Amino acid sequence: MNILSSLGKSARERASTLLYGLGFFYNVITETLRFFKRSQVGYKVLINQILFTGYEALAINAIMAVAIGAAINVIGSSLLPQFGQSQLMYTILIIVITRELGPLLTAFVITARSGTAIATELGGMVVNHEIEAYISVGLNPISYLVVPRFIGVVVSMVILTVYFNLFGLLGSFVVVQIVNPTPVSEYLGNLLSLLTISDIFSGLVKAFIFGIIVSVVSTYQGFSVNRSSTEIPVAGIRAVGQSFILIIVADVLVTLVQYA
Amino acid sequence: MKFKIKYSDQIVGLFIVIAVVIFALIVILVGANQRWFAKDYRFKTVFQSATGVSPGTSIVMKGFVVGKINRITLNADNAVDADFHIYDTYRNLVREFSILELTVSPIGLGSQLLFHPGRGERLLDEEEFIPTADSPAGIAIIEQELVEIPPKDDTITRLLANVNPLLENVNRVMITINRTLTDVNRAIAGQSTGPLGSIVNDVSGAAARLPVMADRVDDIVADVQTRTAGLLDQVSSLLLAFQVVSSDVGAISNNLAATTEAIRDPTGLVPKLLDPKGSLKTFLDDNDALYKRVMSIVAEVETSVRSLQGIVTGLNGEMPKISAVLNETRTAIQQAQDVLEGVKNNPLIRGGVPERAYQDSLYGSMREGSFE
Repeated sequence: MNILSSLGKSARERASTLLYGLGFFYNVITETLRFFKRSQVGYKVLINQILFTGYEALAINAIMAVAIGAAINVIGSSLLPQFGQSQLMYTILIIVITRELGPLLTAFVITARSGTAIATELGGMVVNHEIEAYISVGLNPISYLVVPRFIGVVVSMVILTVYFNLFGLLGSFVVVQIVNPTPVSEYLGNLLSLLTISDIFSGLVKAFIFGIIVSVVSTYQGFSVNRSSTEIPVAGIRAVGQSFILIIVADVLVTLVQYA
Repeated sequence: MKFKIKYSDQIVGLFIVIAVVIFALIVILVGANQRWFAKDYRFKTVFQSATGVSPGTSIVMKGFVVGKINRITLNADNAVDADFHIYDTYRNLVREFSILELTVSPIGLGSQLLFHPGRGERLLDEEEFIPTADSPAGIAIIEQELVEIPPKDDTITRLLANVNPLLENVNRVMITINRTLTDVNRAIAGQSTGPLGSIVNDVSGAAARLPVMADRVDDIVADVQTRTAGLLDQVSSLLLAFQVVSSDVGAISNNLAATTEAIRDPTGLVPKLLDPKGSLKTFLDDNDALYKRVMSIVAEVETSVRSLQGIVTGLNGEMPKISAVLNETRTAIQQAQDVLEGVKNNPLIRGGVPERAYQDSLYGSMREGSFE
């Protein structure tokens, strides 16, 4: 009986949590739609969020993109000619950089950097009763705290994906010149003849979805802190873990939808 | 205040603007490379099969992509209607008598859709039909050399282009052999009505008739033996009669010889004749003994001659029968020889019964001779 009651309690709590999460997400979306209609102080929070999440992550994002692009170039240009399929190198580069690894690695970087930061920051604000203070003065914490972070993370995510594509496709060319010199016109011609607009938009759609996941999960976990400061790092860890899982699941679903 | 915080708006704005510019640039480059802003000329064609053809398949001419397939649909005739476009830069190549050729790599490296420009002067209008190389219209255009088809630059394709006619010939020979074997099998099974079936049927019939023919030959030989035996008896009796007649003739000859010898002596003949006791007197006074003797000899000679005449007449009467028997025997032996030759030269292995050169008989019957 104890097992059954504990199972029932757990299911009820999980259902309640899920409903709470969906309600939270709904509130974020509705407040986001109102965000640009209001002239409010949340704009500064948005700029700062893009600065921290996007601009400051550009360096590590670019390094990753150039490294992965160069690795694909070097491996492809040495391995694929053995099968007489040199042209496939550009196809593989486009698929890996723009469709798959670009959005995914960018999402991981943002989750690791900004997701934990958002969760711990909001958790600290809860512990310090700052949220109660916002409410007491009539400020909606979702409108003022969550929406700028939500928009900032999503925009940063999309923009960083564009940069990842740029560095992955073109920046790697510079590195490849050291190992396997190739005329830039030949490289760009082959790349642009195989790169389609659907490849680009596929990566951006994934980036948009991943940005939503990271921002919503991080803010949700930040608000899940109750009163103890020891809950703050736990919230950060949960934000990272849940974000990773949801990002991978979403990646699989989006890929299935695209190739179905 | 830190620089980043102080100029956060500018930094973020630049960060976003650069990203948007890069994105726009990439989209424009992709669009330009994929001919979003260029005019394409659309045409139609029909393929027998969509194998190797799909929307987006490049149309190639001398290694250059001159167009792409837009859409393929299966029509009511189970052929494949295809819409395709040619780039504006190659518009002037789409002249009258142009064709499309779908080539499949012989070593499994995919297919290629080739465009061959026609030699006509008129440029084809949009939405006009361009035949494929394997269609009747395309084949007619190629045969009339109204289209420029460059030689295949692929070694394997060239090699196979030479090998293909040989293979087709070999295939044709194999089909012929197979058909022949089928005919032979059907002929052997008795189901064919062709020449081979007739030969086999004839051989089979001849072989079936062989025992009957052998019996007939036996009968004919026995008949010939019977007839020949009677004839030989007659000939033997005739020979005996000849011997008797010959002995009589011999005696007469001896008498005549003695007479001639006696007459040959002139000195003694007259005295002998005139001598009262001589021969002449004896001859005259012998009561016609000598005369009777001579007459009997003459009668015997006449009998012998008549007997000889009868023999000859009998022989003349038997000659047509003998001739007919010999002719029948000869025909029967020839037929038997044909059958045996046919069986020996089995037509399945050798080549049938050889032609026979017929030789007319050198001996005609006396009756036939009389009517010539």
